[in-house]
Formats: sequence, C-alpha cells, structure tokens
Amino acid sequence: MLLERRLPNRLEHVNAFIKEALGQFGTLSLPQSDIFHLKLALEEALTNAMRHGNRLDPDLFVDVCVELEGKKLVMKVKDEGGGFDFSKIPDPTHQDNKEKPNGRGVFLIKQLMNDVEFFDGGSGIKMIKFLDRTPD
Amino acid sequence: MSLQVKIEEREPGVYVVAPAGEVNTDTYLELENKVNGILPTAKAVIFELKDMTYISSMGLSVLFRVKQKLAGQEAKFLWVHPQPQVQKVFDVMKVLSDAMVASLEEADEYLDSFLDGVQKGKIEPRTPHDEGA
Repeated sequence: MLLERRLPNRLEHVNAFIKEALGQFGTLSLPQSDIFHLKLALEEALTNAMRHGNRLDPDLFVDVCVELEGKKLVMKVKDEGGGFDFSKIPDPTHQDNKEKPNGRGVFLIKQLMNDVEFFDGGSGIKMIKFLDRTPD
Repeated sequence: MSLQVKIEEREPGVYVVAPAGEVNTDTYLELENKVNGILPTAKAVIFELKDMTYISSMGLSVLFRVKQKLAGQEAKFLWVHPQPQVQKVFDVMKVLSDAMVASLEEADEYLDSFLDGVQKGKIEPRTPHDEGA
C-alpha cells in the first residue's frame, strides 16, 4: 500500500492529497505522461466523490487508497453516497452532449486509465494503470 | 499548484487571457472570476495556453462556459499554444478543436476578418477551421 487516507468531504483536501500522491508517484520512475494521467484521474475521481457522491456534505468522508500491484498502479476512491447507475453515463463526446458544461470526469478517467471498475453500486471506483517505468 | 492569470487587452474588446500554472479544483474559480470580469465588453477572447501546465474537467468547464457566454453575445473564443499534455485532454474530450489557432498572429488575422465582418453587419463569419472546407 503506497497511500491510504480518509479525507474530509471538502474540495480543498483534493489537491492536498494529490500532492502527497505525487510524492509517491515520483519514487516510481514513471514517465511524465503517466504521472499527468494518474494525477488527473485521481482529481476527477476525488472531485466526483465529494461533489456528486457525497453531495458536498462536509460531515461525510471519502476513502482513497493507492496501491502498487506488480506492474499495475491501483487507485480506489469510495464515497458515502448512494452510488449511481454507471451503465448510463452519457458520452460527453457525443454531438448532443458536447456543449454541456459538465459530465466529463468519468469519461476522462476511462480514457486515461487502462481499466476502470465501479463497485458498491457506483459509490466506489477502482482505477488501474499499467506502468511503464521508463521516465521520459 | 498555483495559478496566475494575466489578461491583456490587445485592442478594444479583444483580450488575451494567459493562465500560468494549473487549472484544477482549487484554481478554476480564480480563472473563471477573472475572465468573467472582461466578458461584458469582450468581442473576442484568446486563451494563450503556453504556460498552463494542467487542466482538469473543472477547468474545461470554465472554458466551455466562457465559450458559451461569448457565443451568446456574438463574440469569439480562441485558444493557442497548448502544452502537449493539455492538448491531449482536449483531444480525448474532442472539445474546443474548432477554436484552436496556431499562433497569436493567426488569431489576429482571423479576428481582423471577424471584426470587419461584424462592423459590416455580417454576424457569423466562418471559423478558422472552415477555411478551405
């Protein structure tokens, strides 16, 4: 386990945690592009959990962990909300949705990670990145 | 992870907005608030992105809202010089590609044509990417 935290449900904790995670990613000899993708996926997942999952309720928490499993980096984010129907996430690149100002977070995560799974009815997300440990 | 936002009025109503740093959950409102301050008088806003090192979906939403507000007042939204990782985010999301120009000089040329058109009553000129289409 590289990192495991229980974050208060306030957006100002997102980038404080990301800064801590970047410190760990920096020890893994990863290409800068991978670090950028991990950072962005983590921000999107944490922000979604706090805003949409926990509905910005300051009394709730978001659990997050980052693990190294062989050549995979696994990040899990879990909120205390009721989940959502992840089979019905609209495609923000579809013409009908392109001009909508929101709804891009999960799509971005899926594009940047190698594998994404939801658990606990959508209140948790597991993001997997296969690591190429060759710094660019 | 800080953000500085420099805004220059190149000519009356034509602004260059240059964010330097990261546009993320912490900083997107700073960008939005500063840009909202110029929108009422804007004929065009060019985002100079060479010093913007990161953008999340919160930042993308700011650019979208700015683009929509400008479209509502028949003003133009353009952006130039994204860093490769930021360009990738735009590419992945398939957004805003119609507003990209290669340089500030190209933006100037395009805006000269646009603003001439507006003055002559031609409200809807072609976008830069319609050229030759």
